[in-house]
Amino acid sequence: MAKQHRGVNKRKGILGALALVAVAVGLYWSLIVAPPDAYQGEVQRIMYLHLPSILIAYLSYFLVFVGSGLYLWKREKRDDILAHAAAEIGVLFTALTIIEGSIWGRPTWGVWWTWDARLTLTAILLLIYVGYLMLRSLIEDEQRAATAAAVLGIIGFLDIPLIHMSVYWWRTLHQPPSILRPDKLPWENVHPSMLTALTISFIGFLLLYFYLLSLRYRVGEMRQQIKALRLERGTG
Amino acid sequence: MRVTANKLAKAYGFLWALRELNLELTPGECVALLGPNGAGKTTLLKLLAGLIPPTSGQIRLDGEDFSRGAAALRARVGLLEPAGHLYENLTVRENLAFFTRLYDRNSAAPAIDAALAHVGLGRRAGDYVANLSSGMKCRLSIAKWLLLQPELLLLDEPYGVLDGSGVDLLEDFLRDQCAKGSIVVMASHHVSRVLGLCERAVILSQGRLTFNETKRQPWPSFDQAFSEFLPHGGA
Amino acid sequence: MTLLRQAYLLLCKDLLLELRRRDSLLTMFFFGTLLLFVFHFSFDLVPERVAEMAPALLWLAFLFTGTLGLAQLFQAERENHCFDALLLSPLDRGALFLAKTGFNLILMVLVEIVVIPLFWILFNVRSWNLLPQVFLVTLLGTVGFCVLGTLMSAITLRARARELLLPLVLFPLMIPVILATIRCMEEVLRTGQIGDAMHWLRLLLGFDVIFMTAGVLIFDWVIEN
Repeated sequence: MAKQHRGVNKRKGILGALALVAVAVGLYWSLIVAPPDAYQGEVQRIMYLHLPSILIAYLSYFLVFVGSGLYLWKREKRDDILAHAAAEIGVLFTALTIIEGSIWGRPTWGVWWTWDARLTLTAILLLIYVGYLMLRSLIEDEQRAATAAAVLGIIGFLDIPLIHMSVYWWRTLHQPPSILRPDKLPWENVHPSMLTALTISFIGFLLLYFYLLSLRYRVGEMRQQIKALRLERGTG
Repeated sequence: MRVTANKLAKAYGFLWALRELNLELTPGECVALLGPNGAGKTTLLKLLAGLIPPTSGQIRLDGEDFSRGAAALRARVGLLEPAGHLYENLTVRENLAFFTRLYDRNSAAPAIDAALAHVGLGRRAGDYVANLSSGMKCRLSIAKWLLLQPELLLLDEPYGVLDGSGVDLLEDFLRDQCAKGSIVVMASHHVSRVLGLCERAVILSQGRLTFNETKRQPWPSFDQAFSEFLPHGGA
Repeated sequence: MTLLRQAYLLLCKDLLLELRRRDSLLTMFFFGTLLLFVFHFSFDLVPERVAEMAPALLWLAFLFTGTLGLAQLFQAERENHCFDALLLSPLDRGALFLAKTGFNLILMVLVEIVVIPLFWILFNVRSWNLLPQVFLVTLLGTVGFCVLGTLMSAITLRARARELLLPLVLFPLMIPVILATIRCMEEVLRTGQIGDAMHWLRLLLGFDVIFMTAGVLIFDWVIEN
């Protein structure tokens, strides 16, 4: 078993190293190679972090959904561990997204926070994540906690498109479109160098996410192994 | 109905409540489930009732896996809680009407009245369950299962709340059920009483099945197995 | 016995119990009324602004009142291990979901039938003729609330700090309903008909249908002991 883990650890190490390299290259491209934005200037560069962060925050909840669904169906502990790990790393990236958005907002709009669609949606996603994690920690029985969390994982995911629609309708019908127009695709009217920066950044963040996820998953796995050992030694 | 438990095990957190349990029950049997407190009797009963899922192993009723219990199988299994499983703020009659309808059994007034008369609650039909004593609640539970007619009936320490006539009522009811081909499994500390009723004894100790034999006279193996967990000897 | 008949049986049982004790209904009714008073003192409302703020205030009152009802939803089953009695029986878990949702819905509708006209009176809202549309929109929103609320109430049954956890997990998920209901009501009070707010109504309907279905299907796993 130890040998197996050495092999897995090696792969994780490579993943981590790759992530580090990709993020570094991405940062270089974002901060130095890509030109500053015509309208927003240097502050626009935070978008190279912000957009990948938000995409990964949503990807993470998708993984929570997948883990939750598989767990309810097959009742295999590893799916529950995946869902929990994805929730914890996901909440991290969501919080990061909000902070980055706020940092961008201050010089651009003059305020630390605004209720535009994107920020609002990210805040809601954060609340859903937090609810999920709190639910897990407040239920004593492990199996019940896993089941309850899995249900929330699924219901939350089904709700996200509806939350999206409602928030976008709310913001676009009552106020003039904000600078972050949801309909403007990233690759329209954008300098190719910026696009490259964005892509590399995204790949870097993605690798970083999976690296962190694998670490957190391993922690969950080890907890389970300890529990199993305790069970064996228990009233045996 | 045949009941088979195969390598049944249940763990709560860090504690094993049941380990590697194999058991077979045949129609018409009355089985006494004995053992010290914490031996796993209640856990076994809950597993057989389908209330909790096993950590490993399986239970089969007539060959069908009971763990992701189909409603049809659940309809044939009963758990008699002496003073529980009754709605406090419904009347005696309303409780019976509710459960008989839920199980799709005969819920007509004459059937309910007959069952109530049989257990001696005929005059309390309109009383709220909250106003009954525990002995009467137990009688009501008997009436309930009399109407629901399960093929497997499980009981957890029923003797505690019953008076003399209540005990006779319960034992007559159980004997009738066995005669009809149902299986009865009763966990109790009143060893002599339950052995008078049942023809097989199963002893659990620390989650394991340590004894499983049909009754005979004399029964030295039982006396020995029993005295092992009861320091002061048998009943 | 079919799903709907089982749900109906359970619902009748719950209504009978509620009729006897009236615990939930009276508490919810008085709490809803109390909130209206609190709002009146908190928001110094001039008559011109009342119609503008009415939908939001009303819906907030119902949200908090409904949450009270949700906390009590499975109370009858907690006495005497009746929950076990239901799990033991051939009851389809989806029927339990429908019954509890329906029960909470009936309680909330009864409260709304009194509180909405009361609001109209207390806050001097003129448009009495618009009450039917307002009721309709409120009803659709309440269905959405009850559906998600029953699910969340069930999964938090054994949690610590349950009264705090339940709103925490429920409210973010309720945002589409909150937005849709309030926008619809605003439109109705402004123009007298749903008109431009039709897409909000459709969203509400979609929400209700999606989560009603999901609830019935998923409740099996929610309740597995």
